[in-house]
Amino acid sequence: MESNRIEQLLESYFEGTTTLEQEQELRSYFTGDEVASHLESYVGMFSAFAKAQKETLPLPVKIPSSKRKYGWITGIAAATLLALGIVTKNTQQDTYSGTYQDQKVAVLKTKQTLGMVSKMLQQSTAQLGTVKEFENTANSFFKQ
Amino acid sequence: MDQKTFIKITNPFKDKIYRVAKRLLISQDEAQDATQEILLRLWTKRSQINKYNSVEAFAMTMTKNYCYDLLKAKKSNNLKIVHNNYEDHSSNTVRQTEVSNEVEWVFTLMKELPEQQQLILQLRDVEQYNNAEIAKMLEMNETAVRVALSRARKNIREALIKKQNYGIQ
Repeated sequence: MESNRIEQLLESYFEGTTTLEQEQELRSYFTGDEVASHLESYVGMFSAFAKAQKETLPLPVKIPSSKRKYGWITGIAAATLLALGIVTKNTQQDTYSGTYQDQKVAVLKTKQTLGMVSKMLQQSTAQLGTVKEFENTANSFFKQ
Repeated sequence: MDQKTFIKITNPFKDKIYRVAKRLLISQDEAQDATQEILLRLWTKRSQINKYNSVEAFAMTMTKNYCYDLLKAKKSNNLKIVHNNYEDHSSNTVRQTEVSNEVEWVFTLMKELPEQQQLILQLRDVEQYNNAEIAKMLEMNETAVRVALSRARKNIREALIKKQNYGIQ
């Protein structure tokens, strides 16, 4: 007798006209032990929904702290530090005088430094050739 | 609103967000990230939270939009990533394995439904929202929800019957 009612419920279930309570009835029928053999094909469906509902978020959610009580103190501290930094930097600049006295020495030193930099740059550009080879190989694989 | 109140409000439906996101995104990790992101967005909007009749419904709408956007971005990037969330079935008995295979099969079938049908089936048959609530969450009308729900259920049924008749595993 019960399977008759279940059949009727199933019919309206597939039309989308059952209520949530009726669907609950279907679910408990199909996840129970006494399912009529000709209705067994629906067990999977209702068990799947029941199983899916049991899944929970595996990790706790991180919510940023709302406590900003001491925020303004941190702000003032940061501003003070910054002001202090600027003041000390300015006073340092006043006493700065570290440069070559002799002009010729200064020119020589500058030339030396620039020469060293250009040598290094040349070395690096030479190595760029190898990088280009990578691109060639990659292009042979990925054709646009 | 402080952290505690916020967690209290969102706790009852955070799992629902995760499950809905997982239904659409499939990957467990992505669903987790999505949940985190959605709750974070809710948190930044906490001052307006009282304005919404139902925070839960609002969260679900956000989830839907977020997942749709993500899926759209993936499609336009032409990326197709197959996700496998491995599970251990070793302790199941024969009868349970049988049912569990059927269950897995239903999940596979659900993945093949159009996104909207997946979503509606999940919201109704898993999360047990009524059609009026779903209509509001998805910004649709109730009749359209009922029709899509009926189609989704029938699609699953047809595929199940097909499998039984031909025994496709």
